[in-house]
Amino acid sequence: MIQVAATHRLSIDCEGDIIAVRRRVRDIAELRKFDSFATAAITTASSELARNALVHGGKGVALIEEVTDGSRLGIRIVFEDEGPGIEDIPRVLAGGYTTARSMGLGLSGSKRLVDEFALESTPGSGTKVTVTKWRRF
Amino acid sequence: MDHRKYMTILKLDEAAIASRRAFFAVSDEDLARLASLRPLAEKIIDAIVEDFYALLLSHPDTRKFFADEATIRRVKRTQREYFMGLFAGRCDLAYVEDRLRVGAMHERIGLAPTWYLGAYRQYLELIRQHFDAQLTEQGAARDGFLSVQRLVFFDVALAIDTYIAANLEALGRHQAAVRELSTPVIRVHDRVLLLPLVGTVDSHRAQQIMESVLTHVVEAQARCIIIDIAGVPVVDTRVADHLLKTAAAVRLLGAQVVLTGITAQVARTMVQLGLDVSSMHTVSRLSEGIELALGMIGKAITAKSK
Ligand SMILES: Nc1ncnc2c1ncn2[C@@H]1O[C@H](COP(=O)(O)OP(=O)(O)O)[C@@H](O)[C@H]1O
Ligand SMILES: [Mg+2]
Repeated sequence: MIQVAATHRLSIDCEGDIIAVRRRVRDIAELRKFDSFATAAITTASSELARNALVHGGKGVALIEEVTDGSRLGIRIVFEDEGPGIEDIPRVLAGGYTTARSMGLGLSGSKRLVDEFALESTPGSGTKVTVTKWRRF
Repeated sequence: MDHRKYMTILKLDEAAIASRRAFFAVSDEDLARLASLRPLAEKIIDAIVEDFYALLLSHPDTRKFFADEATIRRVKRTQREYFMGLFAGRCDLAYVEDRLRVGAMHERIGLAPTWYLGAYRQYLELIRQHFDAQLTEQGAARDGFLSVQRLVFFDVALAIDTYIAANLEALGRHQAAVRELSTPVIRVHDRVLLLPLVGTVDSHRAQQIMESVLTHVVEAQARCIIIDIAGVPVVDTRVADHLLKTAAAVRLLGAQVVLTGITAQVARTMVQLGLDVSSMHTVSRLSEGIELALGMIGKAITAKSK
């Protein structure tokens, strides 16, 4: 059973908001004493996913949650947008595919950087990516 | 900053002032009432100003703004002008300009809004006491006080806006200064350049970095440019993309990029992202990067022989 200890909701409307999201994520990770590798990982994944919400989804929101599963502390972040959605999910998760002439490594890379990763998307109505990083002891 | 500048920044023209006045309920009737209270104001001003400064001087955080007797005399005089301004019976452009001057002055001396607002509470209480004692006619003290309160809230809003505008202005100035400093290309040696990157690499800055790097490489006929990313907080795929594109352009000019300042955390993250930076020379420490770069131009750092 996952319990949510605190939530932070940030909107992603411009490039500055991406920085605000990842800075908040880093602050929480540091405050909760995540190790430096885990902190870098979740911060970088946040940067990727927030940028996807902005660039591919037009705009979006990030819901940052401080969670616990009874024995571990974690950070769970939901990135949600109401953009065009993703047609071929396996293809974007394989990596190296992009519709924006960028690197096409954001989704596949983020998936490797976190402990839990879920991508839900409906073409025409939006995309929701949920990631969780647990603190190691 | 000159208080007139705030008039422009805060877009305080006739229309804006009318809108504020309407919202703060500062009516012509209030202004007329305040004007009619002017004789009373003159009567109580000495007591109010004295009591007001007694409070400010009794608190350690506000006392420090009054260094000496001369300062106290000066601010008391300003205070008298401010107080009488409340009973001038007008609330127009000139009035607003005058109020902004007060706000700007407080901001300049570094008086935090906390003390400013706290002092206002005391100020209102003193006015209320004097009105209650002197305006004996039924409801007169209350009506007079409400008019003062409306105008004081109007003034407070102006002061707070001034504080915020001043801070935003300072922030803008700092950002511009940082931007100018943000791509300092240093000549380490003949034909070897160094660019230490510090801070967030946004799109605007990435553009600037690329242009600055290429210009310097051509000017210095550099063979190698070291880009140190120790000060970049997050290296995501976009930062990597910019670095790779910069490196590709540098190679077209016949030079090489050496990437340094890669921390263990960043290295791990880059690998997990699946980034391939094999087109750049990468080393962890800047000192190693310098050695590598010097090697490219056939130079080396050696120990001095005895
Ligand atoms: N939030 C989103 N909404 C719509 N499409 C998305 C979203 N996120 C990712 N995509 C699609 O997946 C592709 C791959 O994304 P990503 O791996 O982050 O690489 P990149 O952002 O460099 O293209 C994008 O080019 C885009 O087509
Ligand atoms: Mg992306």
